[in-house]
Amino acid sequence: MQGFNWAGFFEYLGNLYLFEGALTTIWLTAVSITVGLVLGFILALMRLSRPALLRVPALFYIWLFRGTPLLVQLIVIYTGLPQFGIRLSVVESALLGLSLNEAAYLAEVVRAGIEAVPSGQVKAAQALGLRDRQVMRYVVMPQALRIIVPPLGNSVNGLLKTTSITSVISMEELLRRTQILIQERFMVLELFAVAALYYLLMTTAWDFVQRRIERHYGRPYNAAAAALEQR
Amino acid sequence: MTLSRVGYGVFLAAAAFLSTVSLARAADCSPKVPAGDLIRPGTLVMSTNPTLPPLQYVDNSGTLKGMRIELGTDIAKRLCLVADYIQIDFDAMIPGLETGRWDMINTGIFFTPARTKIMYMIPYENQAISISVRNDEKGRITKPDDLSGKSVGVEIGGFEEAQTRALDAALRQKGMPGLTIHTFDTYAIAYQALAAGQVDAVTSIDGVAEQYQAQGAFPRAVSGMDPTPVALAFKNKELAEDVVAVLDAMKKDGSYDKLFASYGVPPFAGGFKLYGPGL
Repeated sequence: MQGFNWAGFFEYLGNLYLFEGALTTIWLTAVSITVGLVLGFILALMRLSRPALLRVPALFYIWLFRGTPLLVQLIVIYTGLPQFGIRLSVVESALLGLSLNEAAYLAEVVRAGIEAVPSGQVKAAQALGLRDRQVMRYVVMPQALRIIVPPLGNSVNGLLKTTSITSVISMEELLRRTQILIQERFMVLELFAVAALYYLLMTTAWDFVQRRIERHYGRPYNAAAAALEQR
Repeated sequence: MTLSRVGYGVFLAAAAFLSTVSLARAADCSPKVPAGDLIRPGTLVMSTNPTLPPLQYVDNSGTLKGMRIELGTDIAKRLCLVADYIQIDFDAMIPGLETGRWDMINTGIFFTPARTKIMYMIPYENQAISISVRNDEKGRITKPDDLSGKSVGVEIGGFEEAQTRALDAALRQKGMPGLTIHTFDTYAIAYQALAAGQVDAVTSIDGVAEQYQAQGAFPRAVSGMDPTPVALAFKNKELAEDVVAVLDAMKKDGSYDKLFASYGVPPFAGGFKLYGPGL
């Protein structure tokens, strides 16, 4: 058995084709998490609302998209929708599949954050005469976000790797490009090591961003805790 | 209580009987390949990707079927080994062979000089590349160059992908628009994409394209491109030599030709020769 080919490893580390694959993974993740979060937020509000006309569709959507594998969803979007006259390109199908899937999971994360805000806060805000939309925007969401950010960060981290599933509909992201390059000289371990390193760099960069966001939304709590300690 | 004791006794007797029957069968024929040449003594572990009807596929009940499956099982039987198939995607097969996960690759791996540098190969079947299209595109593509500017689906990691990329390069060199190549995990998904109109054509091997044509959905626009033999591949040279002897015997008693004829595949001309590192 041959040992690890370090020359090959460093050569592939500088490979432009792979680097572009990594960029693809990044923008796939960025777009999907953004669309997913917006849609997830809407779904969470629908899920928490009283009229069944809003609540039931949200429940159905979350049940369907969390209950079926992303791989199946992607293949249905890419090869099933054309039968109904909707033909989306590989990129469109990948983004749609990832966003719709992520939205279902994020809806539950957002719901957990909103429900974690004590009802006394809502009652106090209403007693001050704030309208529902103002209560949500100025009182509930700032507190809910502190609960939402860690699991949301988890989702971003997971999504960075989950984008590799889009290779099933021929999307050329990082992992697919790694597999294509393996056929050149069969340097399997070396190439997967390069891919692993890329993923690690991306997730570490996100960790850094996530910590900054957590600190921002935790400010009031940190300040209050510090004040209490000083007393 | 007595009844359950009787039942237990019957069970023990049946188990003992069955085990002696199977032991007897195994004792009829002792493995013709030494344990040191195999991953598991007495077993021929073969890797295959059963997504290519009628050569290798899985039927409704999950049973492995196909010409290559029958060939592999017959080879194992003639060596007095138990045939054990591992189903896995193509691009995992060569690394798996190198790291000792299977004894033999039986998936119709194309014979190329580059591959013979890292494993032992016995060419045994002729294959070539075909281009499948949808029914409504039948007349429009009659030769490989007609694919210029079109999108083509192909299974990742094989000879077909390499030849598709070579065709793309050749077209661009001639100043024509190249191909947009979509790599899929399996042919099934590639043909599904073709049906959905997501790609204009799929390049696959003659045997597979012919099967899809016979099913009525995807006519074969071009066939017989880049004719190349496919091979059985091994890491262990002694095992490979044993299999060459088995193939020679099968050719001699007519069973090799009969198997190929039953699947409509033209038999390999000439004898079976071993190629590999240092040969």
